[in-house]
Amino acid sequence: MTRFDLSDDGVVVIVGSGAGGGTLANELAQKGIRSVVLEAGKRFDLGDIENDEWAMFSKTSWLDKRYSTGGWHGAVNHPNLPAWIVKGYGGSTIHWAGVALRLREHEFRTRSHYGAIPGANNEDWPVTLAEMIPWYEKAERKMGVTGRTTGMPHLPWNNGFRVLAEGCRRTGRTDYNSGPMAINSVERDDRPACQQIGFCMQGCAIGAKWSTMYTELPRAEATGNCEVRTEAMALRIEHDRAGRVTGVVYADAEGVQHRQKARAVAVAGNSIESPRLLLNSASAMFPDGLANSSGQVGRNYLTHTTAGCYAVLPEKVHMYRGTSVAGVVGDEVNHDAGRGFAGGYYLEFLSLGLPFMAAFLEPGNTGWGRSVAGAMEQYDRMSGVWICGEDMAQEKNGITLHPEEKDQHGLPVPLVAKTPHNNDHAMTAHAFEATAEIYEAVGATDVYELPAYPASHNMGTNRMHADPAKGVVNAFGQAHDVANLFVSDGSQFTSSGACNPTLTIVALAIRQAEHIAREMAAGSI
Amino acid sequence: MTITIHRQTSESGRTGFSRRRFLLSTAMIGVTTGGMLRIAGASGAAALDAGQSATLLRMVQDIYPHPDLLELSHYEAIVEIVAAKAAGDAANAAALTDGLARIEAQARALHGTGYTGIADPDAREGLLRHFQHEGFFQGVRWTAYFAIYDNKALWPRFGYGGSSVEHGGYIDRGFSDITFVPAGPTLEQRLAEVGG
Ligand SMILES: Cc1cc2nc3c(=O)[nH]c(=O)nc-3n(C[C@H](O)[C@H](O)[C@H](O)COP(=O)(O)OP(=O)(O)OC[C@H]3O[C@@H](n4cnc5c(N)ncnc54)[C@H](O)[C@@H]3O)c2cc1C
Ligand code: SF4
Repeated sequence: MTRFDLSDDGVVVIVGSGAGGGTLANELAQKGIRSVVLEAGKRFDLGDIENDEWAMFSKTSWLDKRYSTGGWHGAVNHPNLPAWIVKGYGGSTIHWAGVALRLREHEFRTRSHYGAIPGANNEDWPVTLAEMIPWYEKAERKMGVTGRTTGMPHLPWNNGFRVLAEGCRRTGRTDYNSGPMAINSVERDDRPACQQIGFCMQGCAIGAKWSTMYTELPRAEATGNCEVRTEAMALRIEHDRAGRVTGVVYADAEGVQHRQKARAVAVAGNSIESPRLLLNSASAMFPDGLANSSGQVGRNYLTHTTAGCYAVLPEKVHMYRGTSVAGVVGDEVNHDAGRGFAGGYYLEFLSLGLPFMAAFLEPGNTGWGRSVAGAMEQYDRMSGVWICGEDMAQEKNGITLHPEEKDQHGLPVPLVAKTPHNNDHAMTAHAFEATAEIYEAVGATDVYELPAYPASHNMGTNRMHADPAKGVVNAFGQAHDVANLFVSDGSQFTSSGACNPTLTIVALAIRQAEHIAREMAAGSI
Repeated sequence: MTITIHRQTSESGRTGFSRRRFLLSTAMIGVTTGGMLRIAGASGAAALDAGQSATLLRMVQDIYPHPDLLELSHYEAIVEIVAAKAAGDAANAAALTDGLARIEAQARALHGTGYTGIADPDAREGLLRHFQHEGFFQGVRWTAYFAIYDNKALWPRFGYGGSSVEHGGYIDRGFSDITFVPAGPTLEQRLAEVGG
């Protein structure tokens, strides 16, 4: 395996090996640009994947100390687990479910379409859908997304999704299907077709689902242009007197600190750790944190407007059999001000195993007793959805540093604040009604409404904006304040859109790699 | 905090609520993911006397009541795990025995009988709700949670199949076998849809 010298200042240092970092590393490597990926977690491979919800949670989750704050229920019920994110080689693409949707045109321009919303900080992206389409297509081909771009058929429909789909049909809905998913429905790109194993969110044991763990990262390493250092936690980014970044200080598995020199730095630690790293890199020159002249680093934290909704059907469903997110309903994704909220939402069929259902049906101290036990006895007759809708950006939602408490590396512990906007409440109520209507049309006897899970989608905390006073990075994820510093993950999103973020993260990373190559060739970085 | 307890017709009967919304805890929680650890096999001397064990046994049955699905021995096993943990940890044992004593005292004050003597399951659950934000209670509750819902031996009773990779997935084992709704599209239809 290639090793680059700590003093090699020709490499791009990438922090994080997930969707953003892993993709960027491989794209750069294929262009002959050398990089060192610093990944805080361990090196995992397919052999580490088990079909067991809690075993995989314990093995791969980011469990460093965090506080969940703000007005959402998780501040009480998930006080140290604001988000469910992976720490390891492949990042959260190990346990993502594979839904690969594009943002819609109105979602790139939320200020223009929704107008100013009181209490919200909704702004337009400096990039449009039309500009993004070719990059989306490249991302879809790279990841193997079912649909027209690849010609790969969508997955076969499993029991749980068939119930949802029939409810949609009976209630006059038209936009429901078992894709687009970044899961092979046929053998493709040296990876097998899905065997309907289930447990997609514990990692795909056969690699049918795209993950940087067994695509981008090993391919980048194979070129000799990329070194992935695992158990390497980036602590701070350093800069010179001209305000250019020069390297990253990180701690290895033994806690020993090293300084990796860099020509450019790309931050892709997901939307809690990326702003935290910039805030922790404050200096005399950048007193409020690196690249933070706008004051927007760590703000506008987006998680999607989410909730779960499970219906009990008259007959057995066995929803756990097969793909975890087996289908998506898109009928409500358009913006329609007449519904009383801005933006739209998807309903995504989602199976939970028995352990997770029992933990999340009613999270917190009260989740026991006859109603919970009774619901669990209906487990094999359940089908349900995860509601995933546009989340209104608010400045007060975000990542700040604990004033006293430090983690194992001596870094201030992050406080992760989330208070839903009224828009989110109105949307959630609408989505519960729609889901109940769909399932009641197929004979549901009970419909259970579950509050948001710890955030699996994290975005917005280093937002893009054309105006350097209103955003941290430009349309290429390049910091307005520091030309050789990039943000390569979902934290650069200006708004959340209704759809799952990863396809957009990957499309942006491919586009960013081209930009970095161009800037390097021009000698500007 | 508001808590809704759904009255049920009998110990096992569940009245149908077409729309049921679970209310959330608004009190500060003592249990974090760190507390949700798997419980290794129980062993060790009993830290509880016979009366305390009996209260605890009734309590775990009331925390996750599955009278038709589970057997008494499954709940007895949970009591053993709780007792074994207490036996190895004096502070834990003190909190547990103190908690059980207060449950007993409350039962006598409200119902004139020990906890196990209260015949109405709703009354027993209501009494336990009073203690639900305490550490000893949540310790017992999460032990019971893992011993029931994260216990592979019990999964078939709930109709959950669990791990499938060793069997080649569910592709040939009923992933799409229900008959009360129409089948999904065929491969030909799915191919046509994507222009393939
Ligand atoms: C259960 C679940 C299901 C999901 N399903 C979907 C889905 O169906 N569709 C979809 O689009 N998205 C889905 N997601 C979200 C998806 O996983 C994320 O959007 C995506 O992985 C984010 O990419 P990222 O590069 O920002 O971060 P990640 O993939 O999380 O990678 C970040 C990496 O950076 C590392 N890191 C962080 N800080 C540091 C540091 N200081 N030093 C070194 N390393 C660091 C972390 O250890 C981690 O490995 C799901 C997420 C979850 C949890
Ligand atoms: S259902 Fe398919 S994609 Fe999901 S884990 Fe199984 S094989 Fe992989």
